[in-house]
Amino acid sequence: MNYIFEIIGFVLIVLTLLMQWEVYVTNIILLFSISTVFVSTFLVFLGFSRPEGNYLLFVLAGLTLTIRGIVIPIIMNKALHRLYDKPWRVREDKPMMGVGGSILVSLVLIVLGYFIYQNSLYEVLKIRSGAVPFALFMQASLLIISRRHAYIQMIGFLVMENAVVMLSGWVFSGLPFVVEAGAILDLLGLVVVSSLIIRVREQTIMEEGESYESELRG
Amino acid sequence: MNTTDLIYLLPIGCSVGGAILCLIPIPWFERVVSLIASIAAFLSAIYILAFLPDITNSYLYVDGLSKLVLFTIALVNISTVLYSLAYLKHIKNPLFKTRLYYLLLNVFASTMFFSVSMDNIGLIWVGIEATTVSSALLVATENNNATIESAWRYVIIVSTGLVISLIATTFIYGSSGTLSISQLMVYHPVNRVFLIGILLAIIGFGTKAGIFPMHTWLPDVHGKAPAPVSAIFSGVLLPVALYAMARVIQIYPSPVVKSFALILGILTVVVASLMMTVQENYKRMFAYSSMENMGMILIGFSLGQGGLLGAVIIIIAHGLAKSAVFFFTGNILSTYNSTTMSDVKGLLGRLPRTAGGLFMGAMAVTGAPPFPIFIGELFIFAELIRQYGWGVAAFVMLFLAIAFISLNFKVGKMIFTGGKLYPKEKNHKATWVPIVNLSLSLLSLFFIPYFEQFLHKFLIP
Repeated sequence: MNYIFEIIGFVLIVLTLLMQWEVYVTNIILLFSISTVFVSTFLVFLGFSRPEGNYLLFVLAGLTLTIRGIVIPIIMNKALHRLYDKPWRVREDKPMMGVGGSILVSLVLIVLGYFIYQNSLYEVLKIRSGAVPFALFMQASLLIISRRHAYIQMIGFLVMENAVVMLSGWVFSGLPFVVEAGAILDLLGLVVVSSLIIRVREQTIMEEGESYESELRG
Repeated sequence: MNTTDLIYLLPIGCSVGGAILCLIPIPWFERVVSLIASIAAFLSAIYILAFLPDITNSYLYVDGLSKLVLFTIALVNISTVLYSLAYLKHIKNPLFKTRLYYLLLNVFASTMFFSVSMDNIGLIWVGIEATTVSSALLVATENNNATIESAWRYVIIVSTGLVISLIATTFIYGSSGTLSISQLMVYHPVNRVFLIGILLAIIGFGTKAGIFPMHTWLPDVHGKAPAPVSAIFSGVLLPVALYAMARVIQIYPSPVVKSFALILGILTVVVASLMMTVQENYKRMFAYSSMENMGMILIGFSLGQGGLLGAVIIIIAHGLAKSAVFFFTGNILSTYNSTTMSDVKGLLGRLPRTAGGLFMGAMAVTGAPPFPIFIGELFIFAELIRQYGWGVAAFVMLFLAIAFISLNFKVGKMIFTGGKLYPKEKNHKATWVPIVNLSLSLLSLFFIPYFEQFLHKFLIP
């Protein structure tokens, strides 16, 4: 099982690196959807690995796949279609750092995540691959910080949530089902609400060419 | 859970019922329904407070602290609905229909009731995250560029911060095998993973409570949200997040945890007080004042005993007084069409009741005697001096003094300068709502002995 977790963890890190590399929003949404498929696969394997055959993990895997992997990307894509004539051409115009820089920083963060984990929690948990969710979490933070496009920031937040699922499932014994299900429903609500806010925000920026950050200082 | 225990869920049920009925498309129906739902939730909160014993089962954890916070939420919720009835007509270009506004307000109230009634840290997290979902659109009600930007910042900063508390929940569950508050209070492991979980929970929930260093969303949202939304945010949403922090501290009141919370509380007071001195926007200034009060409450929770009593006094008195202050700012904004302090002159002559109320409200929220926040701060300082000595207390007092002077000086300038610039205007219809809130805040002074009874089990050394 450790082996499978490490492979899935590696794939998730690569997918998040690809998100840093990508500038087109629809592609980033697709990459997120694919990464969520891997997260739900991980939950299925985790369910099989439990001696008691924990059926709730299969339910959770189904919920994760349906809501995070399918419904949320559909909602985001539909919102893009409503907002733009050519949604597949919507891209990050003003990233805080260039693609090369963000990949480099991303790699540094992976090493940093590993270093922090090794020197803090590894001594207690004794699971070397436990560094993977931490690295994912830091990469997701970078995605939020380094991009200005609201949809990409939202994807960064969703990647963070995926990292928490990996952390709770692998490093610990998982959260109670009611909490995990509640978190997924919250996430769905948040994406719906955010899509509305983002749509109005992007319309404003398109019409007036700027966001109104200057009024929110001090 | 017994069927009789369901009575503790009445406030949640009333608000959810109100929200569902808001979907019926009859003119004014959503307003009537919301008012009835908020009154029903308030009456059930009073019933729970006055007549029902504390309860702990696998789902619910309702003790004295929960009851008092529940009561405060219900009270501020009613006043928010009442003020909204008159205020919403001043919003020229709302983002959505009035029906959706009241629906979201009811859902928002129910998520707060939910958060303070659960016996499970994970479910409290779900409830607090749900407050973000239900309130994000409320922030953007006024539908202009800056409100939309602030709503987005609110969503992304608060949600990211709450992911930290979700990680914390994972740590706590992973190391202890339970998320039940009642069980964790009786027994919890003493190891590094559990400790990290508790500390992360304090940071994560602190994001929602406006605690330094994750407070940056707070002035943006309070500065741009409509007055009733700012009022309910400042009055009860921030304390609901602090309630979660209080529970976490109560679970593991080790010196490391308490010191960590104390330092965050002090830093919050310092940063908020300094930021208040440079504000030019009155709503942002009151937002920093809320942050300063949250810092004091966190200090009280970290100290426990008398400090906890002081913190609860501030929660109740601040909830009422600060919501009143934000309602008054709604009157000012709808008259002057500006949130810049230099644009607001001659308030006393133009809106005398609002001016008087704002003056009293400013005094109340900055802890002037005899307002109960002053008494709450006295309890906290007494405990601070007892545990950490005069030096730390004097340091915090210095920044409270800075906050007091800067806020009252700026409010005074708005009220008393430019006396005859404008003629007297008709009072806003809902001005009585903040006046009642402010009076109740003052009257809560007489209920402090009862608060003490409710918190009895936490006050024993």
